[in-house]
Amino acid sequence: MALLVQMVLIAGLAPLLQGAMRRLRARLQGRPGASVLQPYRDLIKLWRKEALLPEGVSIVALCAPGIALGVALAFAAVLPLIRGPLGSVDVIALAFLLALGRFVVTLAALDMRSAFTGMAASREMTFASLAEPTLLIVLVGAAALGKDVTLGGMRPHSFGAADALAVAALFLILLLETARVPIDNQETHYELTMIHEGLSLEYSGWHLALMQFAAYVRQLDFLLLAALFLPGSGLFAIAGWVAALAVAITAVETAFAKVRLFEVPQLLTTAFILAVTSIGLRIAGIMP
Amino acid sequence: MTVESSLPFLRLEFGFTALAFPFLALLAIVSCAVVVWSLPRRDAAELMLLIAFALAMSGVLAARSVAAFFLAWEAMSLISAFLVAAQHERRVVRRATLTYLIVAQGGALCVLVALCILAGQAGSPSFSVIAASAGSLPPPLRNAVFALAFLGFGSKAGLLPLHFWLPRAHPVAPANASAMLSGVMLKVAIYGLCLTTLELAAPAPLAWGLALTLLGTVSAIAGVLYALLEHDLKRLLAYHSVENVGIVALGLGVALTARTLGDIPLASLALIAALFHTINHGLFKALLFLGSGVVGERAGTVDLERLGGLWERLVWTAPLFLVGCMSIAGLPPFNGFISEWVTFRSLLAGVAGSPLAVRAVLVAALAGLALTGGLAAACFVKVFGVAFLGRSRDLRHALTERERFGPEPAGMSILAGLCMLLGIVPLLAVTPLASVATTTLGAVPLALPMLSALPVSVAALPFAGALAVVLIATRRRVRGVPTWTCGSPVTAAAQYTATAFARPLEIIFAFLPFGLVDDVARRFAAGMLRLTRRSRALQSGSLRLYLAYAMAAFMIVVVAAR
Repeated sequence: MALLVQMVLIAGLAPLLQGAMRRLRARLQGRPGASVLQPYRDLIKLWRKEALLPEGVSIVALCAPGIALGVALAFAAVLPLIRGPLGSVDVIALAFLLALGRFVVTLAALDMRSAFTGMAASREMTFASLAEPTLLIVLVGAAALGKDVTLGGMRPHSFGAADALAVAALFLILLLETARVPIDNQETHYELTMIHEGLSLEYSGWHLALMQFAAYVRQLDFLLLAALFLPGSGLFAIAGWVAALAVAITAVETAFAKVRLFEVPQLLTTAFILAVTSIGLRIAGIMP
Repeated sequence: MTVESSLPFLRLEFGFTALAFPFLALLAIVSCAVVVWSLPRRDAAELMLLIAFALAMSGVLAARSVAAFFLAWEAMSLISAFLVAAQHERRVVRRATLTYLIVAQGGALCVLVALCILAGQAGSPSFSVIAASAGSLPPPLRNAVFALAFLGFGSKAGLLPLHFWLPRAHPVAPANASAMLSGVMLKVAIYGLCLTTLELAAPAPLAWGLALTLLGTVSAIAGVLYALLEHDLKRLLAYHSVENVGIVALGLGVALTARTLGDIPLASLALIAALFHTINHGLFKALLFLGSGVVGERAGTVDLERLGGLWERLVWTAPLFLVGCMSIAGLPPFNGFISEWVTFRSLLAGVAGSPLAVRAVLVAALAGLALTGGLAAACFVKVFGVAFLGRSRDLRHALTERERFGPEPAGMSILAGLCMLLGIVPLLAVTPLASVATTTLGAVPLALPMLSALPVSVAALPFAGALAVVLIATRRRVRGVPTWTCGSPVTAAAQYTATAFARPLEIIFAFLPFGLVDDVARRFAAGMLRLTRRSRALQSGSLRLYLAYAMAAFMIVVVAAR
């Protein structure tokens, strides 16, 4: 029950976060920006519209938006925010869950018979496979070095150097997973940048609503996950950290230019080195 | 069962052990599925060969003495060489067979020497006696046995750096033979490695356990990277065998390490992970090879660049192949997910409590396994997305006939059904494997209380989402329109190709020496060829000279025996 409440809450607030981040970015760029409620309106509008799909696509392309949303919601349900049954999902299963969503969405992109979606699928899988070791090492390191590998065991008791490095690594992964400059760009379908946007290029109407909603929920999921690494406990501390991370991401997005595609691996390697240093510190620290 | 011989060393002993049980089960299941799949071929000779092959492999699994093991092992190697050479009219097939035979015989020699050392030390060729006296093996001999076992069984299993024969030999065999070779024979080599390291020469020195863990990690990463750059479906699948055998070796390495460190429950857990992944790889790899056989037969090619849109016509094979792809990519709720998850869990438990050096190795293995998982998913998105989805890239290989249900889909359904069943109800396999591990290592494995509910709690929402979308789509019409191509004509050539898909990863990993192993192997082969050419002088054809050789050899033996 607690899981359900948490899932619904996260799903309900996810578009608001997107609206707020968009608004903040507009302000930073000197524009008035749309209302923070605009994502809700967009989703409702799209949901009412008819969906179009390329002729002859398989059932994979049809299912993908549902699976993407299901993965985002499952992620939301297993985050250890409120006390209660955490289910049986541990940090490793979480990585596999995300892989499932990515697999189906990229397959659907290849099913669309378009060069653009294929390009996005290729880039998505490339960067995701480079980010996966980092994410897993960060999660595992935080999970008290394997003594408690449930997500609930992740809350650090004290915030040390290892945690700071882990958060830094996770922040770089956040930029990738939430499709932000300098890695990706949410605002454009221009083929030089698009990764996440390219994947949903052929979706329209209520399919697109599902894809976008899934992206919003996933974004909030990842921010919450990162907030769990930061000191403080209680829902207010977490909400505060989510807001701070959202501001930081938006600031990065405004201040930096997008890096070249083949410089993204360097960012991801940096994240990996940070994560390895973090877990190295933890290993050495716990050494008897 | 025992067959006595006048020479005690040649006694043939057969019997069943707990360790062989999972391998025998896998052999039985895959053989059945392959035979069902092969029925429409009506090729009696091929079927006989496949069955003889299965019998030889069961002989290896049941052997309990040195001579029995080696005889069955050689029978297995030779029969499999016939399977590889089925299309011997082609030069590439003959060369692949030759490479395979050389590596197989070299490996068999290593295995024989290792077993003879063990039997010599124990004073009996019987495995039960050898195992009982394994503890008193002097360290230099133990190290020699481990090195020889790694060489012999590792080369047969396809571990780096002796994997180079595998992507040559497996793809040139017919699909059903490839399924048996990759699905089962590699597992028999894994069994040999388990048997030697866990029973006959146990306990393993710490360095060998860690070496196996690292070797497995490197094999897994290298296998999947080679596979990404490969666009011939069967060769790609063969490289994935290198990857998966690497994952199994990693699990076995953790088991050996933990056992040496005295953490038997963890060793048992890691052994479960290794055995479960062995079974799973056997199931989904056989499924994928059989699927590639259907593709090759219908489309006339297994070159990914010429395929596309197979889903439209291969209405049975395509979904079954998708199950195989998702299983091998380790996605929930299929079997590969569970065994990789258990492998991760055993790594984690190892990281939590072992000496610093061991922890460092385990963290490296963890990162390597995560990278492998990500790359494997990318590779199978490439395979399935390019070959089965989208539109056909080459009209000459486009299918016209819709596939009907027959023995081929039936054979694959057995394997796909098991992939799903073991993914959704993992305890079906994990409970018996736990008792195998308990019997083999002597302690109950670490408990995994989450396991039974894991598949459902991970995969329920995504699949509910998929179902919901399909249901909504039946009520709200989804209109088909041409793909958006910025106004230019919609052609199949505009689709992303396999090369294009893998190109970013190719550029990123360009710093790795991909050709190194092949170069070294080629140089080694050239050196051997020179050596044999020199030694040809000995073969004069003169009978008297040969008698002199025999005399000299006899004298040497007599002198050495004194």
